[in-house]
Amino acid sequence: MPSTEAQRQRSAYKKPRSGQTELIKPESENFPFEDASVYSPQDAQSLPSRRYTLSLSPQLIYCRSNLLPTLISSKVYRQLEFQAVGSWWIHRSQADSSGDANLYRVPGSREDVFADDKITVKSKRTLMRFLRHIGKTQHDTEPPQGAEEDESMASPFSTYLESKFQVPAELLDPLLSLSLSQASPQKTSAAYAVPRIQRHLASIGVFGPGFGSLLAKWGGGSEICQVGCRALAVGGGIYVLNSGIESIRQPVQGEHDARLKVQLSNGETISTKHVFGSHWDLPTDNHPKCDRVARSISIVSSPLEGLFPVAAEGAPTPAGAVVVFPGTSLGQADDAPPVYVLVHSSETGECPPGQCVLYSSISIAGEAGQSLIEKAVNKLLESAADPNAQVSWSLRYTQLGRSDYDFPGPLAMTLNHVSDNVVCFPPPSLDLSFDDTVIGTVKDAWRLAMGDEVVDDEFMKFEDREGAYDEE
Amino acid sequence: MSESTSANTPKPSSSVKLVLLGEAAVGKSSLVLRFVNNDFQENKEPTIGAAFLTQKCSLPTRTIKFEIWDTAGQERFASLAPMYYRNAQAALVVYDVTKPSSLTKAKHWVAELQRQASPGIVIALVGNKLDLTNDGNETPGESATNDEGATPAGEGEGADGEGQADEEEEEQEATPGDARKVSTQEAGTYAEEEGLLFFETSAKTGVNVVDVFTAIANAIPESSLKSGRGPGAGTGQTTLGGARPAEDSRVNLGERSAATAKEGCAC
Repeated sequence: MPSTEAQRQRSAYKKPRSGQTELIKPESENFPFEDASVYSPQDAQSLPSRRYTLSLSPQLIYCRSNLLPTLISSKVYRQLEFQAVGSWWIHRSQADSSGDANLYRVPGSREDVFADDKITVKSKRTLMRFLRHIGKTQHDTEPPQGAEEDESMASPFSTYLESKFQVPAELLDPLLSLSLSQASPQKTSAAYAVPRIQRHLASIGVFGPGFGSLLAKWGGGSEICQVGCRALAVGGGIYVLNSGIESIRQPVQGEHDARLKVQLSNGETISTKHVFGSHWDLPTDNHPKCDRVARSISIVSSPLEGLFPVAAEGAPTPAGAVVVFPGTSLGQADDAPPVYVLVHSSETGECPPGQCVLYSSISIAGEAGQSLIEKAVNKLLESAADPNAQVSWSLRYTQLGRSDYDFPGPLAMTLNHVSDNVVCFPPPSLDLSFDDTVIGTVKDAWRLAMGDEVVDDEFMKFEDREGAYDEE
Repeated sequence: MSESTSANTPKPSSSVKLVLLGEAAVGKSSLVLRFVNNDFQENKEPTIGAAFLTQKCSLPTRTIKFEIWDTAGQERFASLAPMYYRNAQAALVVYDVTKPSSLTKAKHWVAELQRQASPGIVIALVGNKLDLTNDGNETPGESATNDEGATPAGEGEGADGEGQADEEEEEQEATPGDARKVSTQEAGTYAEEEGLLFFETSAKTGVNVVDVFTAIANAIPESSLKSGRGPGAGTGQTTLGGARPAEDSRVNLGERSAATAKEGCAC
């Protein structure tokens, strides 16, 4: 501590020498979040803020995601608690429902399709043909090749379904919802949707019956980050929160210490061989173009229990559910994108019992998107059996990142060298499920940091500290 | 409410997240090492990184598995500390009985925990290095279960015993060779005011170390154990069905291998 103190004081008085490379963070701050506003009703009682753990960027994790083997090999999964995301629901506009509840449970597996009493027998047959087809291809090592398949995959998913499988139009929205595509139906290609529906189906049953995706208790991704930081600390690393990078100075030739000097916003200066970060972290003017989505977090004064049925014998009680509002169900045209609402029960530890948290998202940023989200949230609460279901607090914001509907190619996932040993990650995905390409990018960064010492098999394999797990 | 969950199982086991806080070199890691391995290292190196250790504590009616988060002095980055004590059900705030400034620091941690940590967190104030005082010198190393030096504060019970200990304390402080700088009375009174558990320990001799953890285990409210770790989970007005037992929603990643193999050939 004393040495750091001394170093800090020294660096504060040191003037930059001329001729050296120094990256200085531009004055204008920029963040992956914009336009945040908080809404709370006038008669709202103040909520016990310490009872909430909310996530700005919630994601569900498919059971087949590469993240899970990584959490297991690194052994950090033992400090996490996973819960099931159960049902997918789709909202139907009043016109085509006859007094039934407006929320329709999407059959997420072949068993569900058989059991469903809303789909006609004829539709079931075509649907099963489609599910069989994609079930087959997912286990082949090579995807079906040929010009015909290529062409149909490039077409919109709706065209693909209709022309290849004669799947009736009424099943398009439910199938699309399984892909979690945030683009409009017309803009969602078969090449995007099909592998994602495959992933959904293939993930069901991996960790138990009745569900195919997970969430991490106590705040999702942020909880995984925390556990990751802990693993770093156990390995001897140090992490500092609430402190950014002000500037990075490259070593001058012939200088004794050949490391980068990083000036932190808390006044300390640290030396390091490499700096990795996003373009929001690093002092760089080279900002990649980002996509924007509208998001909101709503705390609801009802557990909305009806959204979390136990889907199969022996299945865990789901702590999460997905509710999809196609553009048409919100009075929009066919080419409007849907609103997705991830519903987290109080079992997630994110809110007190008797409440739940709604995480909503639409790929239209700004006021237009926010008003569609509000509409969707209201419809969701109306369709709940609980007359007391109200929004007691909400946060609305715009999130920046990368949407991958139109296959931006591998470049979007590659590291960008800002300057020598200063490396920038691409903007994160805005996907509602965990983006597996992150793991590849992180591995690339790890290789750079390890240099000649890299042993590929050792990626994310951590040994237990002696004595830490004697009994297991 | 939902006592049915524990009715059939003979002895329920629950995990309790416990964090260690306190000034550098007061003996946080040594306390844990004594508790977990019954070991002590003279001149232990400062903890580099953080340690994550587990130890079971068996009570008459249940087993508590402590998940102990040793903060490795990284809590000196003030902004970092909340990451450690988030969702913690218990905190061990440690000071050094030979170093008054460490008690001041401990009080800061207690205040922060009371302000920021989960409501209902069990906090134990622990004065370590009792072996450097005359109380500690008289205690043989093996008698780890000896009650001497233990002063559970808060409930008002044993107030007489405490008074006596304090009188002894005053006398002993004058004795030459005694390195004690923080009296039992001073820390004990503070602990009582704040509703903390209070012990004086020696990680070196083992005095009171197990007792601290047992007292914490006993002090964790049953309600917060039922639905897993968490701030007041399962308490309050939970009639709306939000208080399902945690085991019901937990997904075990260990089941992957078996399930995956089956899945692979089935379709």
